[in-house]
Amino acid sequence: MDFAEITTQPIDIATVARRVVPPDCGVTVTLDGYPRRFTREKATGQIRETRYLIYEAYEPMAIREMRKIAEQAKKAFAISSVGIVHRIGRVEIGQTSVVISVAAPHRAEAFAACEWLIKELKRTVPIWKKEVYGTGEAWSEGETD
Amino acid sequence: MNIRLLLFGAVADSIGFRKADIVMPEGATAAELIEKLKEQYPQLAVHKLLIAVNEEYAEATTRLEDGCEAAVFTPVSGG
Repeated sequence: MDFAEITTQPIDIATVARRVVPPDCGVTVTLDGYPRRFTREKATGQIRETRYLIYEAYEPMAIREMRKIAEQAKKAFAISSVGIVHRIGRVEIGQTSVVISVAAPHRAEAFAACEWLIKELKRTVPIWKKEVYGTGEAWSEGETD
Repeated sequence: MNIRLLLFGAVADSIGFRKADIVMPEGATAAELIEKLKEQYPQLAVHKLLIAVNEEYAEATTRLEDGCEAAVFTPVSGG
């Protein structure tokens, strides 16, 4: 069962993980990504404390790009199904913002595909995070190729 | 040509809106749309800008079409 979704609601990772399980598999690897409290600023080396994040998405294109990377992962790795759910709106520290679940016959491929998927999601899916911290707020700007 | 412009994230906050209908000359490219925005809104110069046309990433030379949807944004930062 493949799916790619955007939600404004809290994500239940167990539900996401169980939705990908097909009969021919033996393992699901799930990534649970959530806002971190402390970030080291690259430019200054200072540690910044985040109060919360706000995510914004270009929703129809984000779903498309999530489906694309899921299809690419299924071609590149011996896996069976991919579920991706990303939350938008305000997300508190430690609350799940993204889940990627990969079901496969064997765990090595599931782990490799899951790692690949989160890297691709962060590179290509049109979602942006704004960090709200003590003294202000700033949009994170991703790395471009 | 009538273009539906969508802005997101830092670009939207910088310019002050998220949607607009704009007019571009026939045959205009994605790069020309970016240039036009930078001319009208010089504060965009600090950002690396990406563009998607009809929900697909576009190159500088991608031609816009009448009625297309163009989204302009900074490098993505999801996940």
